[in-house]
Amino acid sequence: MKSEKSIAWLLLFVVPLGFAGIWRMQRRIDAERASITEERDEVLLRSPKLVKAMSLEYAPLLADIYWTRVVQYYGNKHLRGQANLDLLWPLLDISTALDPNLVIAYRFGAMFLSQAAPGGAGRPDLAVQLIQRGIQANPEYWRLYEDLGFVYYFDLKDYQKASAAFLEGSKKPNALVWMKIMAAKVAAEGESFETSLFLWKDIYDTSADPSVKKNALMHLQLLTVKEDCKQLDALADEYAKRYGKRPSRMSDLVQAGLVRGIPRDPLGFAYVFGASEKTELNLDSPLLEKQLMIERFRKYVP
Amino acid sequence: MRRAGVVALNTFREAVRDRVLYNLVFFALLMIAASVAVGQISIGIEQTVIVSLGLSAISVIGLLISIFLGVALVSKEMDKRTLYALLAKPVRRSEFLLGKFAGLVLTLAVNTAAMALGLLLAMLYVKHSLERSDTVVLVAVYFILLKLALIVALALLFSCFTTPLLAILFTVGLYIAGLYVQELRNLPIEVMSPPMSAFTKWLSYLLPNFENFNVMAMAAHGRVVPGALILQNTLYTVVYCTIVLTAAAAVFSRRNLK
Repeated sequence: MKSEKSIAWLLLFVVPLGFAGIWRMQRRIDAERASITEERDEVLLRSPKLVKAMSLEYAPLLADIYWTRVVQYYGNKHLRGQANLDLLWPLLDISTALDPNLVIAYRFGAMFLSQAAPGGAGRPDLAVQLIQRGIQANPEYWRLYEDLGFVYYFDLKDYQKASAAFLEGSKKPNALVWMKIMAAKVAAEGESFETSLFLWKDIYDTSADPSVKKNALMHLQLLTVKEDCKQLDALADEYAKRYGKRPSRMSDLVQAGLVRGIPRDPLGFAYVFGASEKTELNLDSPLLEKQLMIERFRKYVP
Repeated sequence: MRRAGVVALNTFREAVRDRVLYNLVFFALLMIAASVAVGQISIGIEQTVIVSLGLSAISVIGLLISIFLGVALVSKEMDKRTLYALLAKPVRRSEFLLGKFAGLVLTLAVNTAAMALGLLLAMLYVKHSLERSDTVVLVAVYFILLKLALIVALALLFSCFTTPLLAILFTVGLYIAGLYVQELRNLPIEVMSPPMSAFTKWLSYLLPNFENFNVMAMAAHGRVVPGALILQNTLYTVVYCTIVLTAAAAVFSRRNLK
C-alpha cells in the first residue's frame, strides 16, 4: 500500500517533469532540424485517381481534408507574400476528383488560381479548366457560370466568352436576373467600371468567408480609386483648359469650384497630384501599398 | 427463435459490460472538436465536413467493433469454455450463431443510433437548424448499419473455421475487396481471355459489394437518396447475410468442438 502511494507520488513528479523535458528537447531538435533542412512544400501523391482509390469509402472526408490543405497552403503563402503557388493546382485537382460535388473548391479554387500574384497563382487558364470540370459535375449550379464569366472578364479579358458564360448561367435554375443583364452589358461594352464594381460587390455580399470578403473589399476600393483618379484627371484637364496650367494641388480644383471638397480615397486619405501631374493615392494611404504590389506583380510575373 | 433471442440479448449485455459503448465518448469529443475547429481552418465546408467526418467516424468505429467483436463472438466462447455449457442446453448451434449475430447487430444499432444523434446535434450546432434534406444523413447511417451487419456475418463465418487472427485478416481483406467490386467489373475485357473475363464478372457478383452502401458524398451535399435504393440495399443485405449465416451454421455444425 505504502509502495503504491510512493509510486503515485513519483508519477506525479515524473510525468510533468518528464514531459516538460521532452517539450524543451523537441524544441531544440526542431530548431536544429530547421537549420539543416530547407523548407519544401510537398504533395506526395499527385494522382487524383490513385488517391481516390486509396481513400476506400472515405473520399468525401479526404476531399474536405485536401480542401483544407488548399486553404492553409494559400493562406500561408498569402501571409508570407509569396507568389509561388505551384502546389495549388495539384491540391485542387485531387480535392475535386475526390468529391466532384465540392462546389466550394471550384469557386474559391478558381479565384485563388486566376488572380494575378500576389492575390493568386496568376493561372486563369487553370481556373477555367477547374470551373469547367465543376460545371460538368454540377451542371445546374449557376454560380459556377458566374465564376467562369468572372475569370474571362477580369483575368483573361475575353468579354465574348465572359458574356457567353453569364448567358449560359442565366438559363440555369435559381439564377439571378442580373446574369442575363450582365451577359448583354459585357457583350456590348466589354470592361466597364459599373460591371466590375457589380461583380466584386456580388462576391463581397455573397461570401461568408472573411478573407474572401477582405479581398473583394480591397478590389472594390481599388476600383473606386481607379475611377476617382480617372474623373479627377478629367477635372484637372478642365482646369488646365480654363487657367492654362495644370492644378498642382487638389485645393486648386476646390477653389476653381470643380469639386466641393478635397477628394478622398475610400479610406479617407486625400488624393494628390503626382509628379506626372496625374491623380495618385496619398503616400499615407494603406491602399497605395496594395495598388503598387498588384501593379508590380502584373508587370514582373508572367 | 426464442432461444436465439436469449443469446442475442446476452451478447448485447456482454458487449455493454465490456464497455464497447465507451467509443461514444470518443465520437462525442471528435464531433465537438470538429464543430469548433473546422470553421477556423477551412472555408465553406463546415457543414460538409461535419457530415463526412461524422459518417466516417460512425463507419470506422462500427467497422472496428464489427470485425473485432464479430470474430470474437465464437472464439471467445470457445476459449472461455462457456460454449460447451451453452451447447449442452437445448440450443442448436445455428441458433447460437444467429443469436450471436443478432446480439452484435443490436449492439451496433444502439451504438450507431447514439452516434447518429450526436452527429445531428453537431449539425444543429453548425447550421443552427435542421432541414428536411438532412434526413439523408439518417439514410447514410442506416446504410452504414447494413454494411456493418454484413461484416459481422462475414466475421462470424470466418471465425467458425479459422483462428481469430486469420478471421480478422480475411474479413478486412474481403471488406477492402468489396469496395473495389466496381473496378473489377470495369476491367478491360478486351485484354483478357474469355474464361478470365467470365471469372472476373462472376467474382464481382459473388463478392459483397460494399460500395452499394456508400452514400456519404450524397449525404454531405444533402442530395436525396432514392427510396428504391434503400429497399434494394436492405434486401441485398438480408439475402447476403442469410447466405453467409447459413454457410457459417453449416461450417459450425460440422466443427469438432472437442
